[in-house]
Amino acid sequence: MKSIEIGCRPNRRKVLAAVLGSGLATVLPRLVQAAVDGDPAALAFDGDTILLADRGLFVSDDAGQTWTAAETLGNVLSLATHRDRPGRVVAGLAEGGVSISEDGGASWRIFEARLPDGEITAVAIASRNPDMIYASLRGDGLWKSEDAGATWSLAMDRPWLDDAERELLSLASVELETGMGGIWIYAGTEVGLTRVPDCFCRWQDVQPGNAMDALVAGEAPPSEAPLPGGEPILSLASAPSAPEVMYAALRSGLWASQDGGVIWQKRASKAATAVAVHPRDETYIAALLGGILKISRDGGATWIETGER
Amino acid sequence: MPMNKGPKDRSAKCTVRRSVHLAALVSALATTGVVVLAQSEPVDPRVEGLTFLGEPVLASQVMAGQQLYADNCASCHGASLEGQPDWRRRLDTGRMPAPPHDDSGHTWHHSDRMLFQITKGGVGAVVPGYESDMPAFGEDLTDAEIAAILVYIKSTWPERQREFQAEVSANDTGG
Ligand code: HEC
Repeated sequence: MKSIEIGCRPNRRKVLAAVLGSGLATVLPRLVQAAVDGDPAALAFDGDTILLADRGLFVSDDAGQTWTAAETLGNVLSLATHRDRPGRVVAGLAEGGVSISEDGGASWRIFEARLPDGEITAVAIASRNPDMIYASLRGDGLWKSEDAGATWSLAMDRPWLDDAERELLSLASVELETGMGGIWIYAGTEVGLTRVPDCFCRWQDVQPGNAMDALVAGEAPPSEAPLPGGEPILSLASAPSAPEVMYAALRSGLWASQDGGVIWQKRASKAATAVAVHPRDETYIAALLGGILKISRDGGATWIETGER
Repeated sequence: MPMNKGPKDRSAKCTVRRSVHLAALVSALATTGVVVLAQSEPVDPRVEGLTFLGEPVLASQVMAGQQLYADNCASCHGASLEGQPDWRRRLDTGRMPAPPHDDSGHTWHHSDRMLFQITKGGVGAVVPGYESDMPAFGEDLTDAEIAAILVYIKSTWPERQREFQAEVSANDTGG
């Protein structure tokens, strides 16, 4: 697969364009350091447009070659978009609240009926319903809005993993059937991956579809290769064009799964802080690796180096 | 593991005599909101629009289930199926409270088979390794009694929830 040639490093200025000169080098070290430490960052595809929230919101219409800074209503910690609703961008704010844009991030609004105060650590839009928005509130739980952010209600408390309640650091609506009349919501916590059916009955481990049958039949459980335990999962993505294809950003690297999160393989060893997948191409991903935005057109097998180094 | 022992009062039997009068049946059913097929026979009518594991449901089952529910489930899930207060919030123990079984909960998202398995074997029977306060009733209740309780619960749902759950059950091919 042929990779496109890009050099991308969004900076604080309005437009980066082809300015990959010395001026940029001076701002890089601080950015890189911040991102490696797990400084919150978020990525999303709005159609072919890439949005990057990394202390400011940046928008690229040319696969990351050039970036434009966008105004926001606060410090954006998390982003979500929907393949069927181009232009809609949902942003979770550090100051609390979820702001919504209907024009690709050019203008934003926050509804009156806000969420309770507190940092919004992750947001997601339901794969089958662009008006259904999920948001996780730090120290609280998972909230949902069925009317595109106008009103909110508590959907579910935080998951209980390794003897404690855990923060939801990342969310993904994954269009795989639960067998309960709906689909899954996957969540990355401080200590690993979990998921809940969208009826919100209970958080549970990701298991192979036939795990229960094997248990009942007394057979060996199907093989699994989970993400490394005890590591925060900073970002999660499920490909709209192939929902079983998933990506996860961890300090240990960028991981990929072809089977809805049962078996994971590492695709990059640099600390990953954000990942997003193109709405129509499950092999086209953008990720922050070691604080640098990189793009892969082959599911993470090869990455486009950005050249600043 | 489960702390509740299940039914204490085994005298509340689930069988309803065929000799039961239609009038009594109708008044009992009125409390559960069940629609009864027009029948001339004063015997166990079918409950319209309700099946369990593919089988038709009889009015006697629903009535028996209502009593069994009161005896075995209401202490946690609520006398009116309303669940424990603040049931979306985890308890200090880390476990979840008992959810409602009415249309405000999520019981109607589960297939007949799954509801049966959860009631008989606890939540761990459907989610391996899951810890919960939901007891397994397999020792204390017969399969028929569990089915009766579940059809009683189902009989209280509005049409939308019934139809949704019927479809989930129809799609549940697992074994
Ligand atoms: C000791 C308290 C207790 C009793 C008694 C009890 N339950 Fe539960 N039940 C729970 C709790 C707690 C849960 C939630 C478990 C979880 O998800 O962690 C639950 C969950 C369930 C669920 C799953 C609901 C869903 O949508 O996921 C079903 C079905 C259920 N109970 C049926 C019954 C029935 C039928 C009875 C009576 C035969 C009964 N329960 C008696 C505590 C109880």
